Amino acid sequence: MDIFLQQLLNALSLGGTYALLALGLAVVFSIIGLINFAHGELMTVTGYAVCFALIWGLPFPLAVIAGLAVAMTAAFLMERVAFRPVRGASGTTLLLTSFAVSAILRVLFQNLISARPIPVAIPASLSGVVTIGPLHLGMIQLISIIVTLAMLLGLNLFLHRTMAGRAMRAAAEDFAVLRLMGLRANSVVATAFAISGLLAGVAGVLWVAQRGSVDPLMGALPVLKAFIAAIIGGLGSLSGAVAGGFLLGFIEVILQAYLPESLLPYRDAFAILLVIAVLLFRPQGLLARKTLVKL
Amino acid sequence: MKKSKLLLLSTAFVALASAPLMAEDLVIGLATAQTGGLAPYDQPNLAGLQMKIEEINAAGGIAGKFPIKTIIKDTRSDSAQTAMVAQELVDAGAQLIITPCDADPSIAAGMITQGAGIPAISFCATTPTLPLAVGDYMFSNYPADNVQAAMLAAHAIEAGYKTAYILTSPDTAYTLKLPQYFGQVFAAKGGSILGEGTFTMGQQDFGAEVTKIAAMDPKPDVIMTSAYEPDFPAFVRQLRGAGVTTPILGSDGIDSPTTFGLGDLVEGVVFSTAGHATAGSPLEAFNAKWREKTGAAPDTIYIANGYDLGNIIEAAVTAADSLDPAAIREGIANLENLQGVTGPITYKGTNGMPLRSVSLVRIKAGDRDLVIQGQPDPADIPAP
Amino acid sequence: MTMPDDSLLSIEGLTVSYGAVEAVRGIDLTVRRGEIVTLLGANGAGKSSTLNALVGLAPRKAKRMVFAGTDLTGLPPETIVRRGMTLVPEGRRVFSSLTVEENLMLGGAKHAARGNPAQVKADMLERFPILAERLHQKAGSLSGGEQQMLAIGRALMSSPDLLLLDEPSLGLAPQVVDRIFDLIGNLRDRGLTILLVEQNVAQSLEIADRGYVLANGRVELQGSAEALRSSPEIQDAYLGA
Ligand SMILES: Nc1ncnc2c1ncn2[C@@H]1O[C@H](COP(=O)(O)OP(=O)(O)OP(=O)(O)O)[C@@H](O)[C@H]1O
Ligand SMILES: [Mg+2]
Repeated sequence: MDIFLQQLLNALSLGGTYALLALGLAVVFSIIGLINFAHGELMTVTGYAVCFALIWGLPFPLAVIAGLAVAMTAAFLMERVAFRPVRGASGTTLLLTSFAVSAILRVLFQNLISARPIPVAIPASLSGVVTIGPLHLGMIQLISIIVTLAMLLGLNLFLHRTMAGRAMRAAAEDFAVLRLMGLRANSVVATAFAISGLLAGVAGVLWVAQRGSVDPLMGALPVLKAFIAAIIGGLGSLSGAVAGGFLLGFIEVILQAYLPESLLPYRDAFAILLVIAVLLFRPQGLLARKTLVKL
Repeated sequence: MKKSKLLLLSTAFVALASAPLMAEDLVIGLATAQTGGLAPYDQPNLAGLQMKIEEINAAGGIAGKFPIKTIIKDTRSDSAQTAMVAQELVDAGAQLIITPCDADPSIAAGMITQGAGIPAISFCATTPTLPLAVGDYMFSNYPADNVQAAMLAAHAIEAGYKTAYILTSPDTAYTLKLPQYFGQVFAAKGGSILGEGTFTMGQQDFGAEVTKIAAMDPKPDVIMTSAYEPDFPAFVRQLRGAGVTTPILGSDGIDSPTTFGLGDLVEGVVFSTAGHATAGSPLEAFNAKWREKTGAAPDTIYIANGYDLGNIIEAAVTAADSLDPAAIREGIANLENLQGVTGPITYKGTNGMPLRSVSLVRIKAGDRDLVIQGQPDPADIPAP
Repeated sequence: MTMPDDSLLSIEGLTVSYGAVEAVRGIDLTVRRGEIVTLLGANGAGKSSTLNALVGLAPRKAKRMVFAGTDLTGLPPETIVRRGMTLVPEGRRVFSSLTVEENLMLGGAKHAARGNPAQVKADMLERFPILAERLHQKAGSLSGGEQQMLAIGRALMSSPDLLLLDEPSLGLAPQVVDRIFDLIGNLRDRGLTILLVEQNVAQSLEIADRGYVLANGRVELQGSAEALRSSPEIQDAYLGA
């Protein structure tokens, strides 16, 4: 029982990170129909920012804040430079643009910063163990659960209690009509990217804290997981992305925990099979958004 | 006949002009990665090799008569691209080809170079089956997985460990086979393997795996893995985070600044690596030279490893005294006890995976503490 | 052509093309202050395209396009709406996952300069008591008629000078349709100018001052509501005389 509870906590921690990532994808997709595969590179940018801030001598909390600010700025610039010119283009065009942005950034990181991972000095206090009854939790795992919940709560408040948040929800439903309310399309899209950048930044910090280094290709795997999670949840649905993230984390941890040793190497294959099974029963994802009319 | 006359004539002419003698270029083609997943390994190797090449050319070429010309093409860490690039380099007249630090693209390139009769050397592929998969023109330039594993297993027995747990990833031959070779040798020497866990590379989540290890009864005496960045740091962090204090053995993949930046988490971890700079060693001298040239100490052994590849090429071509690819191949295959900066290197009697010394290093207060350096007992090395 | 002094909206040579499809092929249109002008025509005649083009939501070209002294050429929807012309789109299109109150808030979000938002909202709820009752309900849970009220209410939150209504009676029960038409008349009486697209020709011509009939993207017929009502074409095609 204790072991099962422990595994649940593990699933919560992993799923939380996936949820943050998937949410970052969904926030943008829900508004402009773009699956931003360069989302992973926003994590990488955050990692580098934290790393260099620490090297310049900023204390860790300030370095994290700097990292988040850089992530939001990077997301904002990405939209300005790469995605605004193709806004409204077909889904394929948008997708290819985001692949291109991602590939260009990776090559820039490799050639302007370093192809080798750069160590990030994570404070020793983050390596501790927290013991709750029979359960052990790494400090970073614990922080990642808390931060995820705080982010979800914060985002929820933002979306429901502020005008910008309501505008984002409305934009996800019907962007054209939102413009009829006199709200500027560009600022709504920019807000979406900034939020997506913040989510990528938080996930990036958590990710880097686990691994203790930044490398140019670091964002590749997380964005893939985020994509799967967002699909399970129903692309474009924010609550779906969160549900998808937690479900994917849960599937992965439970398979890792309970598959027999001889089948363990096939864990990822089983995980993908389960995802496909979910999609067979719910082709639109768990919490699909109703299709909408666009002008 | 006519040709040699011409040669003689031109030699005389050049001698008159007091230019270097009839210099013939050794063309080395580099089908290695500047971008993508292998760039972190290929780039430092290339930097080390280039340093050696500059030195050689400054001295008038290999043996004073074969200056080196390089053609460098990015493989983007893609096997198909590596094969294509290898073909281009063969067509461009390369007499020797360097392939990436991984068996798969090296095999892809090797298919081309083997057919063309041009020797190929991988920067640092460690899979012992690499030359078997390609043929007699394929070499690597790094202690093989089974050699590292044998050293680690011998150390584990020496240290009194009776039981071990291995953690593998099916994602690469290195992360899968090295711990399994370790398991074979450890068992053959009387140890027992309590279990094998797996992970997905890059996933960074070991929660489930660590919970299983924490619940093991009895606990293993030691955990062996060849996980490296980003998996290794995440694994130790989560393992120690779960209150498991079992000692850890690792392999050369974790010989990186990140590992040493992990502080207490990695205190006492022992890993195998290609070289250790003991006082007065050639490696120490190399590191100093590198620092002088670039202003920073080398952050990975791969730089020295690339430099040693230059040493191998120099020795092989000197022995061949020719730029004929077949003669160069002979030269490499017959190298014996070449003193590289990382230690002695021998190809003679091997299938193309060199016999090189392996160092076992213990992390102590963020620093390296040499446990043992040398080559394992050949009887211990498991068949590939 | 000189514009009459009291014209609020004046359009010349408006065309709307979606790629190869030419939905509107050069129409002239004028709306004077305080009028209800109705735009009639069969399905696919280009009525919605015209309204959407006016607010900048459809791709458009025009020789001249002036609203309240402002040239609309090249302006995005958000700017046009801020100048005082807004559209209640076909099919209502309320934000169904947002509450009634949130829909209204968004309607008034950017228009503090055009009127006191609290006052506007209070007026609105007085006019639509049903919305006041449902303030915290999701807009998607309202009935069709209620949603149409909300769509109109949301548009009114921006205190527009000119309201474009695209088929407000679409799919509603007859009594509800009557209420909507009452409301439109009411709004005009309070000084709002209205451009009304409708399929319900009889009722539209009853409350309108003037009308245009579109066919295949061209103006086929225009004139005072009275004249149109008695024109044989309208009688034959729409009023089933
Ligand atoms: N977004 C669009 N893309 C392509 N064609 C369109 C688009 N919107 C409308 N059309 C076409 O333009 C023509 C005019 O359509 P519009 O919607 O303006 O007609 P309407 O008069 O409003 O018809 P209805 O009474 O059915 O609402 C039609 O042939 C329609 O198919
Ligand atoms: Mg219409």
